[in-house]
Amino acid sequence: MQARRLAIVGVVLAVCVFAAAASGSERKSGGTFRLGTSSRIDSLNPFVAFNQDAYSTFEYIYPELIQYDKANRNFAPDFATSWKASNGGKTWTFKTRGGAVWSDGQPLTSADAAWTINTALKYKGGATANSAGLIAHITRADAPTPTTLVVHYAAALGNVLGQFQQFPILPKHIWSQHTGHKGNDLKSFPNNAPVVGAGPFNLIKFTKDQIALFQRNDKFYGPKPNVDAFGLQMFSNDDALVAALKHHDIDAIEDVPATAIKTLRGSGFTVKQVPGLDHTDFIVNSNPKKTKHRELLDPRVKTAMDYAIDRAQIVRVVFLGAAHPGDSIISPSSGAWYNPAVKPTPFNLAKANGILDGLGYKKGSDGIRVANGSRMSYDVITPTDVHSIPRTFQIIQAAFRKIGIELKQKSLDSSAAFDAITAPNGKYTDFDLSMWDWVGLVDPDFMLSVVTCEQYGGWSDSGFCDKTYDAMYSKQQLTPNQAKRRAIVWQMQKYLQQRKPYLWLANLDNVSAYSSNWTGIVTSPQGPFNSISKVSLTSIQQK
Amino acid sequence: MRGADYVIKRTAFALVTVFVAVTLNFALFRLAPGSAVTDLSRVPHATPELRQALKKQFGLDKSKGAQYVIYLKQLVHGNLGVSFANEQPVSTNLRVALINTLPMVLLGTLFAIVIGTLTGVIAAWRRGTPTEAVTVTSALGFYSMPTHWLGLMLIIIFAGTLPTGGMTNEFLINPSFWTHFRDLAAHITLPSLTLGLVLYGEYTLIVRSAMLETLGEDYILTARAKGLKPWTIVRRHALRNAMLPVATLVALSLGYIVAGAILIETVFSWPGIGRAVYDAVLQRDYPMLQGAFLLLTISVVFFNLVADLLYFKLDPRITE
Amino acid sequence: MSSVLIEAPTAPALSRRGVVLRTLRRNPAAVIGASILLVIAFCAVFAPLIAPYGLHTQVGPVFGHPSWKHPVGLDDGGIDMVTLLMWGARISLIVGFAATFVSMAIGGTVGVLAGYFGGKVDTILMRITDYFLVIPDVPLMIVVAAIWGPSLFHIVIVIGILLWTGTARVIRAQVKSVRERVYVKRARALGAGHLRIVVRHVLPQVAPLLIANTVLTIAVAIFDETALSFLGLGDPSRTSLGKVIENAFERAAISSGAWWAIVPPGGLVALIILGCSLVGGSMEDALNPRLRVAHLSARTFRLRPLVGRNDAL
Repeated sequence: MQARRLAIVGVVLAVCVFAAAASGSERKSGGTFRLGTSSRIDSLNPFVAFNQDAYSTFEYIYPELIQYDKANRNFAPDFATSWKASNGGKTWTFKTRGGAVWSDGQPLTSADAAWTINTALKYKGGATANSAGLIAHITRADAPTPTTLVVHYAAALGNVLGQFQQFPILPKHIWSQHTGHKGNDLKSFPNNAPVVGAGPFNLIKFTKDQIALFQRNDKFYGPKPNVDAFGLQMFSNDDALVAALKHHDIDAIEDVPATAIKTLRGSGFTVKQVPGLDHTDFIVNSNPKKTKHRELLDPRVKTAMDYAIDRAQIVRVVFLGAAHPGDSIISPSSGAWYNPAVKPTPFNLAKANGILDGLGYKKGSDGIRVANGSRMSYDVITPTDVHSIPRTFQIIQAAFRKIGIELKQKSLDSSAAFDAITAPNGKYTDFDLSMWDWVGLVDPDFMLSVVTCEQYGGWSDSGFCDKTYDAMYSKQQLTPNQAKRRAIVWQMQKYLQQRKPYLWLANLDNVSAYSSNWTGIVTSPQGPFNSISKVSLTSIQQK
Repeated sequence: MRGADYVIKRTAFALVTVFVAVTLNFALFRLAPGSAVTDLSRVPHATPELRQALKKQFGLDKSKGAQYVIYLKQLVHGNLGVSFANEQPVSTNLRVALINTLPMVLLGTLFAIVIGTLTGVIAAWRRGTPTEAVTVTSALGFYSMPTHWLGLMLIIIFAGTLPTGGMTNEFLINPSFWTHFRDLAAHITLPSLTLGLVLYGEYTLIVRSAMLETLGEDYILTARAKGLKPWTIVRRHALRNAMLPVATLVALSLGYIVAGAILIETVFSWPGIGRAVYDAVLQRDYPMLQGAFLLLTISVVFFNLVADLLYFKLDPRITE
Repeated sequence: MSSVLIEAPTAPALSRRGVVLRTLRRNPAAVIGASILLVIAFCAVFAPLIAPYGLHTQVGPVFGHPSWKHPVGLDDGGIDMVTLLMWGARISLIVGFAATFVSMAIGGTVGVLAGYFGGKVDTILMRITDYFLVIPDVPLMIVVAAIWGPSLFHIVIVIGILLWTGTARVIRAQVKSVRERVYVKRARALGAGHLRIVVRHVLPQVAPLLIANTVLTIAVAIFDETALSFLGLGDPSRTSLGKVIENAFERAAISSGAWWAIVPPGGLVALIILGCSLVGGSMEDALNPRLRVAHLSARTFRLRPLVGRNDAL
């Protein structure tokens, strides 16, 4: 009797445990994940778009050869399942997915990839100039079989995968109809929703500056999303954004304003804070040919300024702790690419004053030093769309006054600000100081390129132009061996730290907030909606 | 024939004003420092080739005179150009934005008229009493409030109850008519209420003035002597008199309201023409800006003309 | 404010000033308005001396709560709000006065010239005024501030250029009526030059109305500057009240629960505008209640208090 009862109890218990285990791991799939943002998608056309959220959109609706893995560190397969370099690195062969389809049912093959690359090459002086940098040094792409892509390079590169990680593959059967007028039709094609794509989601509805609605793509060649759909709602200000989350009109915010972090945490929302890829800077015009205030070219003056920046206060007051003092042009979030030997300069007014005294720049009766006959009073150009700048500037201005330097803020919208920096006509001779921010990528190539001579009139906002540095940049690009490439990248960071075109202020954390009924959250330095990988929004699901 | 004379004169004036506005528009934007190309070339991995490509595409390397002629020609064909930012026809962008703004603005004006008329009547009827003072002062008080600040205050007050941003709940997939209607109604409440509150003060004062004037007239005394109830008097005589300036004010206001909606649309994330203008400025989207500016100026001219003709039609006492 | 039906005095000009003072004394609204303005102006003028803390000194945490030491709390930089309110009022009033001065100068001149000379001069000047009238003001302000940079100087010029039309119309009407006065005609007959007549006879008549209009215009100018600041186009180095609101708004004050960073500064702006409206409106009432100006000058759309309020009649 006893044994049987025990056996029954045992079975019942086993069933209970099994049921508990099963229901414990069983999650609700489906539903719509509603994400809010205060930025926007400017265009659905990859040849036209500039905003980060547009690129994140392309990440999720288009196949790319490569993506980053869940840890956002190493490269992982996306449309390409494996890759191999040959011919001394001048030929790369990618094996791509078989049996894949576009959302309209047409087959997705390596021919689409080859077509996209070749088209970008063909019109890189015109319509496809946007992506010219990504396909630099490529001569031709072939698709010998539907699952093989062969890319030919003029020289062996060190960052092939990093470049392809950002290169969306477009459906040839759609886009080849828009290459008229010497390819210029590529840019006028609106690519309206519903977009023919092949990512984990399909973009089914897009109203500019309002909403982008994505539906799960059940024909996706990779891991399918848990949710049925996700939407990105765009708000024109942070308060509306946070209010919508609190009111449960949206489920998550991709970039929480620093001042609202505490209240959201306190209201029961899941707040994820990770080191981000955004860092703010204080720019000193480093053009050797600049005309006025040439004392700013002296690294000792820049060092003195560096000592007068209270990074701890900036992190505390401007970012309320959701940031770290800045130091290098490459963010720590870039992982191994970041050189840990490059450290933030400590705040030391005495040292700053000492350096400037030692240079013989005496303080005048108004407390402002005179250097080579002119007062050390400078305009600081600031763009209006970086929200942390006004308060940061005030902190820096107050501190600089104590070392005898006067700063005046010249607030312009971003294009006027950029014009003021590059004036006159891309020569970078006029401006003295500026403040801005950079959102880097995990691969360091882009951030390192912005201080090359070649980027005058392109990305450069510092006027920095140094032959030695340019040689190092070229070298790391053409070094296929990653360890050797890393060594060069580290060397470049040290080099820049000595010459200081940028005084790095803060490395921002990326803070996102989610309603408590969501789980499977995968964050990234760019937030949940990013152009780094397709992982975040495929993993998220309701509890 | 003075009537026809007047109409022709005002219409001609309106047309000339439009032309001046068009030219002013163009001149204003072409004197700007900085070029739209600058921002458009801030693409990741940009090369110098990109800037040239953009300059060619948008005709930005031509002379100012040539650009002006291109602009006028296109205007005659009803073509306002192509937006720098999203490469869509400006007219399409503006049309969509305008359609979003109008309901909110009209509803706000309606609030203002209703509240204003009510308070104006009360103030006039209760002349000399504390009621009048309170009514007039609160009307002035609301009128003095910065629009955006009042909007923010309403957000603080109603944050939990009413939606405080956007035009609709974008995540309602295929809602029924009533769900959709209720959703729109909920979203439009705060923005139009803000507009109504800052506008109504003017109507209060106008209605009150007009009513005071009428109430002093002899025929009103006669009516009262005859035993007519006060409300009837108000409704039949005084109010009618007040409607002329009210109508005129509405006509004039509509032209400017669309422009004034910028502040409200920024606070409430309303996707209308005000926000479109602001975004266009931020992105240096010159064709969008020129188109929006032209639209706003023409609407002011148009509604001024309407107000002129309305006033003329309704009040033959006017002399030029 | 409470009496629109004062019969227009037919007595000679000398008693105008008396009328104004008498009406102000009798008129509680105007007195309240004037008191509000005086208190605020006092704080604004003496802000450097009486402000409790430094304008750039962090005295506590970001968005610190109101307390005994800081009755209105702290802003997004940990700076005392009372200090900011005082300095903000100072800057806002300076902008208001400066912009109004520009518009008064232009508008007054245009109005006097048009009203005095009449005929062709009048027509041309009024046409120009009409063209300026139809320019939508907020978009123009945004565009100009965005194109030429958000400095205090630009803001003052822009606002001044937009506001003069109201003044011009009001002054023109007044000048026209003065011109018909017997003593002016007599002066002309006696051979007095235009300039002498304008300075000696016209201006004194016009001055009180000009002042009333100026007070109202100040309110509008302050409002416009607040709007511009809110849209991010204000002068970044000056902490006007509009800038205080904008700083708080940019840093999500409402979502952080820091209502004290937004409500008081805007409330103060509203008070200033209300004060100006009460005073200016009463003065206009007292001086010329039956001022019949063509309704087209009723550029009274939102965005600004009632300049030329009587016009719709």
